[in-house]
Amino acid sequence: MGIVVRDLVKRYGDKTIIDRISFEIGEGELVSLLGPSGCGKTTTLRCIAGLETPEEGFIAIDGTVVFDSSAGIMIEPYHRDIGMVFQSYAIWPHLTVFENVAFPLRIRRDRDVDKRVMRALEMVGLAAFRDRSSQQLSGGQQQRVAVARAIVHAPAVLLFDEPLSNLDAKLRDQTRAEIRKLQRELNVSTVYVTHDQAEALSLSDRILVMRDGAIRQQGTPVQVYGTPVDTFVADVVGPANFLPLTDAAQLRSVGPVPSGPCVAMIRPDRIVIGSGGDNQLSGTVRQRLYLGGHYEYLVAVGPALLRVLSSVTVAEGETMTLSFAAADCIILAQEETPTWA
Amino acid sequence: MTGMKGRGAVQAIFALTFAITAALILTPLASLLYGSFRSAGPGQPSVFTLRNWMDLGSAAIGNTLVTTCFISAVTALASTAGGAAMAWLIYRTNFRFKRSMVASVGLSFFFPGFILAMAWVILGSPGGIFNDILEEWFGIAWLKFDIYSVGGIVWIQILHIIPFAFFTLRGPLIAMDSSLEEAAYASGATPWQVVCRVTVPLMLFPMLSALLLCFVLSVEQFAIPAMVGIPGHVNTLATELYLLTSFSPPNTGLAAAVGLSMSAVTGLTIFAQRRVMHRRGAPTVSGKGYRVRPLNLGKWRGVANAVSLFYVAMAFIIPTLALIYTSAIKFFVANPFEAAYTWRNYLQIWNSPGMMRAFWNTIFVAGGGAFLGLILGTLIAYSTHRLKPRGHRTLDILASLPFGIPGIVIGLGFLWSYVYLPIYGTLWVLVFCYMARFLPYATETIGAQIVQLDKVLEEAAWASGANRIQSFRRVILPLLRPALQSGYFLLFIAYFREIAAAALIYTASTQVLSISIWAFFENANWGVASALSIVTTIMTVALMAVVARASLRL
Ligand SMILES: Nc1ncnc2c1ncn2[C@@H]1O[C@H](COP(=O)(O)OP(=O)(O)OP(=O)(O)O)[C@@H](O)[C@H]1O
Ligand SMILES: [Mg+2]
Repeated sequence: MGIVVRDLVKRYGDKTIIDRISFEIGEGELVSLLGPSGCGKTTTLRCIAGLETPEEGFIAIDGTVVFDSSAGIMIEPYHRDIGMVFQSYAIWPHLTVFENVAFPLRIRRDRDVDKRVMRALEMVGLAAFRDRSSQQLSGGQQQRVAVARAIVHAPAVLLFDEPLSNLDAKLRDQTRAEIRKLQRELNVSTVYVTHDQAEALSLSDRILVMRDGAIRQQGTPVQVYGTPVDTFVADVVGPANFLPLTDAAQLRSVGPVPSGPCVAMIRPDRIVIGSGGDNQLSGTVRQRLYLGGHYEYLVAVGPALLRVLSSVTVAEGETMTLSFAAADCIILAQEETPTWA
Repeated sequence: MTGMKGRGAVQAIFALTFAITAALILTPLASLLYGSFRSAGPGQPSVFTLRNWMDLGSAAIGNTLVTTCFISAVTALASTAGGAAMAWLIYRTNFRFKRSMVASVGLSFFFPGFILAMAWVILGSPGGIFNDILEEWFGIAWLKFDIYSVGGIVWIQILHIIPFAFFTLRGPLIAMDSSLEEAAYASGATPWQVVCRVTVPLMLFPMLSALLLCFVLSVEQFAIPAMVGIPGHVNTLATELYLLTSFSPPNTGLAAAVGLSMSAVTGLTIFAQRRVMHRRGAPTVSGKGYRVRPLNLGKWRGVANAVSLFYVAMAFIIPTLALIYTSAIKFFVANPFEAAYTWRNYLQIWNSPGMMRAFWNTIFVAGGGAFLGLILGTLIAYSTHRLKPRGHRTLDILASLPFGIPGIVIGLGFLWSYVYLPIYGTLWVLVFCYMARFLPYATETIGAQIVQLDKVLEEAAWASGANRIQSFRRVILPLLRPALQSGYFLLFIAYFREIAAAALIYTASTQVLSISIWAFFENANWGVASALSIVTTIMTVALMAVVARASLRL
């Protein structure tokens, strides 16, 4: 078993930051913690690392109990079998690239320092930089050194805190793919904190969507994207259209229908211009943006504005017919204070 | 045409600032240089001579130099280590008394060195309170110690300088990205390994810089070695210089040569310190540096508490109690149960006409002089950081020179020059001397704030039609208010408690309170000296509280 977290509670003063969350991460699984800023992702990760002491709960890493409030167990971070990549990378400026990566091995008095460091550096493509001062690295290279340092001692779990947020867009996509490949190769249980839905969807075996210190939904990327349990999750995991309904029977949909006021959630790329789907609506084009290859339309349907992606050309101000399949129409309970408005 | 007028006025003000600064700083230095080549003291007929410089090589001066360097090196090492340990304890661990410890260290920072030295003489001289109590009550004679010794000087100086080291090191430590240390924990390093392999190496430059500054502070320290060194026949360069000048036959020429050599030592050290500072300090980035995971001290907590309490007791609490006790007894007896208590010492302060004079002199010098010093410092800082006209670099160097010149040496410089000047025998000698000595305090405090101010703020004022002087008055000055206040506070305290620079140049009519306390103490009148110390301490605290309140209401 990779990581077990049960009934975790973390407070600062009388503010509850993590509100009794539980989840498990299997052997070799990569799980993302996804959520808006301030929802407690980093705090959860730091509790697993031991950098934060929770008030209550139970945490086990690779079968070893590292925290148990009821038994009074709190294993210090340096006695946990972890590798961690910090958002700021935390590369030590007084050590060379090699020595930065060698640090976990030196602490553990490993005999094979040279070979293992070089293997780690090769994995991140920095073998040629071994003797560089860590001051002479670009942001992307620093990030790789941080990854090499986290994996060099083959820890039981890897912890990432928004490792890509300081990179530019192109480098981010490339590094994302590399992290996934590396994690597969090492087959190590991984917790990956991010607030970027594309990152979470593309990298993860499973995604935990968090809000205000609680887990709202967990599941595979396909599950959370395709069948979100509420409007918050729908909005966090990808672009979403919300169409307020007076009656759930107004549209044809699949899946359960909540009682009370509700909205229909349709992904912009699932709406087709023209008639023919299970559901049809007509609306007026308010705005058209050319995105290269296709357009993004903002279409007024009654009081609501829908985003539609299409390569069909329609002029602003014209009316059009939109259609979508029942399978792409998810009916969700309307929240009192919509986060997406 | 206001623009032209503004510019002309600015140039005139810069020229004036430059001239005053040059006069303040260069007069004493040039006089010292002149004096070091004269065969007799200032104001006396003399001829050119190389004797003074050759006498520097004598065994006596050589020994003093070795003693000074030894005392200063030990003091600097111990103070830096102590200050660093304290900063680490407070900002990196779950030490319980963080707030009260910072407050106590702040208090000891403002506790004048000469009062601390006085208290320790009362405690640690052969017949002092500690020694007496050790022998009489506990019968442990082997623990007795003599404060009138090299060890005594070092001990008091360490107590006195630790707060300085603490306050210089805590900034870089707080600014250091804590994830650098957390990454080491996550890599499996134990707290001790983190300290040795990450924290200390990263703090190396700040610590080196603090070490050099502590060394300079110790070399230029006058009050402490004067009070406990001279009775024990241990001389440092500062006290040697004082003895050469004040006791007959005076040898002011040799003193000038000693003073210049001493300035060379401190000046070079400051220069080295500046170089260190320009190398990288502790790495400071970090989005989320706010959450430093405090290290669990565990069973070491008790030790940490004990050591901190010991420091506060030695540097502040016990010295204060000793002074209060001494101020309230008729004749000095070490055992408080055998003492005769009295108000007489306090009444003597009240009734002595000399005291009133010293009091008003102090108000004039510290209260008024600090104001002048602040104005000059502000003009210099504004010129060197913002206006940058031709010559601003020279002005910057001039203004930072006093950093490297010990107080007693500046005093000696004024002694060599004032006889020839119309200020002779007036309080202005002290005012000018202090202004020169503490000029860097003002320029650094204000300069740091000016650098922080976005230039756009001022440019917006120009764009709104204000000329340079108007925009300075209406935009810069109001924004500088906090820095001006703390600068004034700093200068006031510094002027108020200065002894080193005044020791050679005060006269009966220009005596100030710090000198009065010192004089009473030197005349073995411990009771009045203690009473006066306590009264002045209470007065300063009250005065500063009033100033703070008043400026808040403005
Ligand atoms: N030391 C602290 N004291 C008080 N509150 C804190 C502290 N550290 C974090 N918090 C609060 O805890 C909450 C969760 O913080 P956390 O850093 O876990 O959020 P996050 O999900 O990682 O956000 P982001 O995406 O911005 O990194 C925030 O509201 C934050 O203000
Ligand atoms: Mg975070």
